[in-house]
Amino acid sequence: MYRGRLERDLKLWAQQGLLDAPTADRLLKEYDSRESSFSLGRVLMMIAALLMSAAVLLLIAANWEAIPRLVRVVGIVALIWGAYLTGGLLIQRGAPRLAAAFLAVGTVSFGGAIALIGQMYHFSGDALQAMLVWFAGAVIAAALFRSGAVTAIAGFLAFAVAWTDWNEAYRASDTMLLWLMPLMAVIIILLVRYTDAGRVRHIAYLLLVAWLAFIYGEHDTPTTAIIIASLGALAYLLAALPQSPLHALARNAGAAPAFYSYLVLLLGLLVLHSEFDAVGDRLMLGVITLFVAIGGIVFSGKENGAVRYLGYATFAAETLYLASETIGSIIGTSGFFLISGLVVALIAWAVIVVERRFSKAETKAEA
Amino acid sequence: MSILSSFRIPPIAAAIIAASLQTAVLGYMVEGRASILRNGADIRLKTLPVDPRDLLRGDYVILSYAISTIPKSIVTGEVPKVNGRERLVVRLKPGADGLWTATEASFGTLAPEEGSVLLRTQPFDYYSVTDGVLPDSLFVSYGLERYYVPEGEGKVLEDARNQEELEVEARVSKDGTPQIARLILRGEPVYDEPLY
Repeated sequence: MYRGRLERDLKLWAQQGLLDAPTADRLLKEYDSRESSFSLGRVLMMIAALLMSAAVLLLIAANWEAIPRLVRVVGIVALIWGAYLTGGLLIQRGAPRLAAAFLAVGTVSFGGAIALIGQMYHFSGDALQAMLVWFAGAVIAAALFRSGAVTAIAGFLAFAVAWTDWNEAYRASDTMLLWLMPLMAVIIILLVRYTDAGRVRHIAYLLLVAWLAFIYGEHDTPTTAIIIASLGALAYLLAALPQSPLHALARNAGAAPAFYSYLVLLLGLLVLHSEFDAVGDRLMLGVITLFVAIGGIVFSGKENGAVRYLGYATFAAETLYLASETIGSIIGTSGFFLISGLVVALIAWAVIVVERRFSKAETKAEA
Repeated sequence: MSILSSFRIPPIAAAIIAASLQTAVLGYMVEGRASILRNGADIRLKTLPVDPRDLLRGDYVILSYAISTIPKSIVTGEVPKVNGRERLVVRLKPGADGLWTATEASFGTLAPEEGSVLLRTQPFDYYSVTDGVLPDSLFVSYGLERYYVPEGEGKVLEDARNQEELEVEARVSKDGTPQIARLILRGEPVYDEPLY
């Protein structure tokens, strides 16, 4: 983890006299006090909260007849009120981590209440509507409390909504997913920006990637794959090029926008590999993929390690793929392994050179 | 961004607003169903065996009805030109035995009629081999297809259903949404549904 490396480095710098020990302590303390930093206690508390919420849900799923059903509804509503009020009180008292656990219990209990009422009145069908109501409740709670934990729950619920709709409908023309998934992703991203829940951003981006996969699943033609790859390329350039008007906004969101748009571009190219049969098409595709790999390293290599490593991996995989497609059949298995070894060694050498240049550029920029 | 980054609703107020909104949604769901039970039109439906017959579905029984199959002959009005998600309005009329059967169905609307009840189906996947030509029968659901029972009590109902000895009494709202009111097992009412 980052904290472990930070602690080690700080200790090292203190030993070398680059930093005095009290400052090192203060730096570490500052990191620990951040709300987003990892703390075992916080994680365990969240797990406890989710386990307790799961217990509530299971109690209802077991249709516990010993209690009259009106009492059950009132009980679960009281649980929602109790969890939210305790959470609010804890935020006021300055205990945001414990508060997050209570807010999570409240939000999951809301879903339990929806399920309970569905059971009371024997609802069948329309699970999508129930999931959407739950998602909306979580979004509103996340916004009201400005809570990163509830934003994360809302993110997972967005996936659950998509899954429910996907299960219920048969064809893309019947489903709301086409517009619902990007809409939910946008809502989650807005919440992430508002609640400062940086890591939840990944859920939203994964939702968009899943949406593209869904679109391709519905129309699996080369055209769809080309469109997806082109959109990925466009989004990547918008996020990564310093000249782009969106560059500042994307950088503000960290490495993720450039990385996920680059990922979409590569997934589009990957799918195209199975769509194209003709040798000429495949060769052209291979060349494009290699250019994309190099482009990613050149444009984002310096500031975005995730894109850089994805670029390296793509370059290596594509080179081996092209080698096996072209000369693989001529030279036989053992010869092919030899060539592969040489190719990988060459790539490794190139990677080392590039990495060295980046680290040099960094030192120069800092000096 | 600077205003946003410092803005926060007082946490207690946030708690009250969030809990109130969620309670209101839950209350709306309950009252929507309770009002159907209070004011809806009564119908009685025959259930049919379901395959696989002996699969106990955990804590609810799957119900299937004679009115779940709509024969081509009773469909009136416009027929969808393309395949897609559709809903039907179905007119039910009581038979001599007190059980209600489907007498007319339409993809559009049906006029209310004395002595009949209109029921709206859930959206279903309409599929026709030839565009504009109805298949021989349409299979629809109404939102009445599940009955939650205490653990372990489902088997009796499933057996009765498979021996065609189970009937369902439902109430239907003005807009055609049905709600199960009680189950009738071999002529005897069981599981009377309370309003709340």
